[in-house]
Amino acid sequence: MSKLVAYVTQYGMALVFANVLVEQIGIPIPALPTLIVAGALARDGKLSLSGLIFAAAVASLAADSIWYALGRRYGNRVLKTLCRVSLSPDSCVRHTESIFERWGMASLVASKFITGFSTVAPPLAGAMGAGLPSFLFYDLLGTVLWAGGGLLIGFIFHRAIDDVLSFLEGMGTGALYLLGAGLLLFVLYKWWQRRRFYKALRMARITVEQLRALFEKGEKPVVVDVRAAGERLRDPRRIPGATTMDVTELDAKLPGISPEVEVVLYCT
Amino acid sequence: MLIERGYKKVRPLAGGLDAWIDAGYEVEVFEKAS
Repeated sequence: MSKLVAYVTQYGMALVFANVLVEQIGIPIPALPTLIVAGALARDGKLSLSGLIFAAAVASLAADSIWYALGRRYGNRVLKTLCRVSLSPDSCVRHTESIFERWGMASLVASKFITGFSTVAPPLAGAMGAGLPSFLFYDLLGTVLWAGGGLLIGFIFHRAIDDVLSFLEGMGTGALYLLGAGLLLFVLYKWWQRRRFYKALRMARITVEQLRALFEKGEKPVVVDVRAAGERLRDPRRIPGATTMDVTELDAKLPGISPEVEVVLYCT
Repeated sequence: MLIERGYKKVRPLAGGLDAWIDAGYEVEVFEKAS
């Protein structure tokens, strides 16, 4: 129907591969829209559905295997680096470990559907000593379900997507500017969100020197180790007097702590 | 979550446990059951 569709048809496989690879590496360019458009083109017989799933699976496994190997080699340091660039660095490691401890390797399947977690899950699996065959199986299963889901949406709603493509085609090069501007706005919004989060966090944080000074003054803040149970097993050290508290334990443990007392939370 | 439950003074420790250990302050060890 158009140059745009012809272009996407010609490079569809490569676009899906590149987009999935880039997203799984951790760059915030969502692959789902590409998968949906590719699914619509597959419905129209312009692209091969099995080829698209294969391209997405290879791209995802390639990126995830690198993260998995880094997790195995460098353990939590990789995770901390990844979480440092995430939206919620302080809770990132703890949160992802909790998910992993609760769901085991099956969380690799679910991770593909959770923004942010999909990049963190592979190095976490490596850091937690998951075996390679098991990792590859669950990662592949998750990728096929996720990519297949995106393609299926495009497959089902192909008429609507064809209309959108026709509309974009009608805009000529303006469509490219519009898509580029949309992507730029999305990345800028993410960056601004993270910057605001860091600012708020910096204002609220207590330094180790300040905490030490509180102890020396005889004040008794409640110090809570919020690491996941698995992380505490790997490194059982704690700040003297620190207690542990999981999200599921809030109702049981909070009644023993006055709301007026200072609470200091720490992870790794 | 703690703030939502009425706790007014809740602060995360900058640098976490690693910063505490790097500063040379003393640590305890959790019992295995914890």
